[in-house]
Amino acid sequence: MSLASAARAPDISTRLGKLELSVPTLMGSGCYGSGEEYAPFIDLARIGGVVLKSVTRLPRLGNDPPRLVPVASGLLNAIGLQNPGIDSYLENDVAKFAERPCAVIGSVAGFSVDDYAYVTERLAARDEIDAIELNISCPNVGHEGETFACDPALAERATRAARAATGKTLIVKLSPNVTDIAEIARVVEAAGADALAVINTVRGMSIDVDRVVPRLGNASGGLSGAAIRPIAVLAVWEVARAVKIPIVGQGGIENARDALEFILAGASAVSIGTGNFTDPRAPLDVADGIRAYLVKHGRSSLSEIVGAANPAFLG
Amino acid sequence: MPAVKLEPAVHSTVVCDRREPAPGIVILGCRAPDLVRATHPGQFAMVVPPGKERVSTALGLYEADHDRISVMLVTVGPRTRELAALSPGDSLDMFGPLGNGFDLDALGSDVALVAGGVGIASLLLPAQYLLERGARVHLYYGARTAAALVDADLFAERGAAVSLATDDGSRGLHGYVTELLLAQVHKHTGIAACGPSPMLRAVAGVARASSVPAQLSLEETFACGVGACWGCVVPLDRSSAQAPNFPVAAPGERRDYVHARICKEGPVFWAHELRW
Repeated sequence: MSLASAARAPDISTRLGKLELSVPTLMGSGCYGSGEEYAPFIDLARIGGVVLKSVTRLPRLGNDPPRLVPVASGLLNAIGLQNPGIDSYLENDVAKFAERPCAVIGSVAGFSVDDYAYVTERLAARDEIDAIELNISCPNVGHEGETFACDPALAERATRAARAATGKTLIVKLSPNVTDIAEIARVVEAAGADALAVINTVRGMSIDVDRVVPRLGNASGGLSGAAIRPIAVLAVWEVARAVKIPIVGQGGIENARDALEFILAGASAVSIGTGNFTDPRAPLDVADGIRAYLVKHGRSSLSEIVGAANPAFLG
Repeated sequence: MPAVKLEPAVHSTVVCDRREPAPGIVILGCRAPDLVRATHPGQFAMVVPPGKERVSTALGLYEADHDRISVMLVTVGPRTRELAALSPGDSLDMFGPLGNGFDLDALGSDVALVAGGVGIASLLLPAQYLLERGARVHLYYGARTAAALVDADLFAERGAAVSLATDDGSRGLHGYVTELLLAQVHKHTGIAACGPSPMLRAVAGVARASSVPAQLSLEETFACGVGACWGCVVPLDRSSAQAPNFPVAAPGERRDYVHARICKEGPVFWAHELRW
């Protein structure tokens, strides 16, 4: 490496379909509101983008509380897709997303193939929205929300419907609660997804042994945080061997070394969710740490290390 | 709830004093002048101790004088034990102030403060605010034992009347703090309360029966503390001004309430608007 290139900051930009990110960090859906909640604590211009909380066709009150249970090295949640519905969302919320100095990725959830097509089309039509993440893997709305990510035929149909509804970057969020995540990844890629978000939360439960009831109002929930990181890294590893489209790695990322595990397994970007709750500046540490790692290893760009630990990486 | 709204921020502070007024109850003082200036009575901060496993805990902001702010915690699990083990000189990140505090100007000139356990921590700044503005303040304070009644003298020093109750009768009334409130509620123009949920429900009952308006500061497990994750909701009347444009129904449901975030729309709510 020449002295000139050594002095230059490494390039950590990345690309998901048509979406270019100067920094490869997204903030996970449902964990970051619309970004404004964290604006007092972090310069949003220094993150790659925020994935908005999922929106559905109709308003949803969400699950009864309690919705959160802290557990060893993680967090169980069952929010239940509380949201105002796409009509109110477009009327009252979307306009202010134009102020965000980072990418804004809309998240679409649904209960039918038609829901995914309808909400994707209406949301993606707005200029404030840079890309769409298809949440086919919410574990907390009965079985129906996750069905789409757990059945290859339904995953394929939901993706195809959303693909037809927008030309913007389409990221499909996969569930770890399947026998073979690589199989789902392949059909979603074939159906036209531009990128995959790997993984959503892992299904789990905690029981109050004194009261003899599940702790969550919804009984079961989704586990996030450091507890699921090894599950998520393996999922990225397996998906990266099955598809060529970029992967957004997520699940328990709290710092740069965590993020690098995902990148070396094959992720082109990472998403931070629960990690923001204990340290709102974690995304800055992740970006700075990735740059420092590249410098230390004599690399000039992120793309040189994506999948470096994964011999069968396809991307 | 109040009109006062200052921007929260991450405050990297250092513990400057530590006091353990009762076994398992710890008060940590920190130098954080900007946080002192920004804090409205009844707000809280997410508090993150140093160390490898950084975990945040929501704590009410207790004292705020000049450049020092303090939090009070009771040790219940690994997170609070880690905080309780801190000593002067240790670093401590606080992000806040968060949530909406009490709307004290709406409670009139003779206010009952009702505290249960470490709920007392969210009521000292309200007492100070009210007394400085010439209101009469009466603290009704209950705990399990006499030892767990901490810092009642700080309220008395500032000019508040104080009535105490303990579960075991070791000090004050042998019974619940809400019995003390019930006996004198009619002399008050408003109530502000913080404590465990059963106590707050009882306060809401007294307020309803006596038609004295009450504001309750709710306790709940928070994940983000900033309104981002929707994990800490409480059912709130759909007409409440604290929850505009909130979804009122899921498909097939007919409900007359919304789910408001305790950390963002609260933690203080009007008792008569809660649908719990």
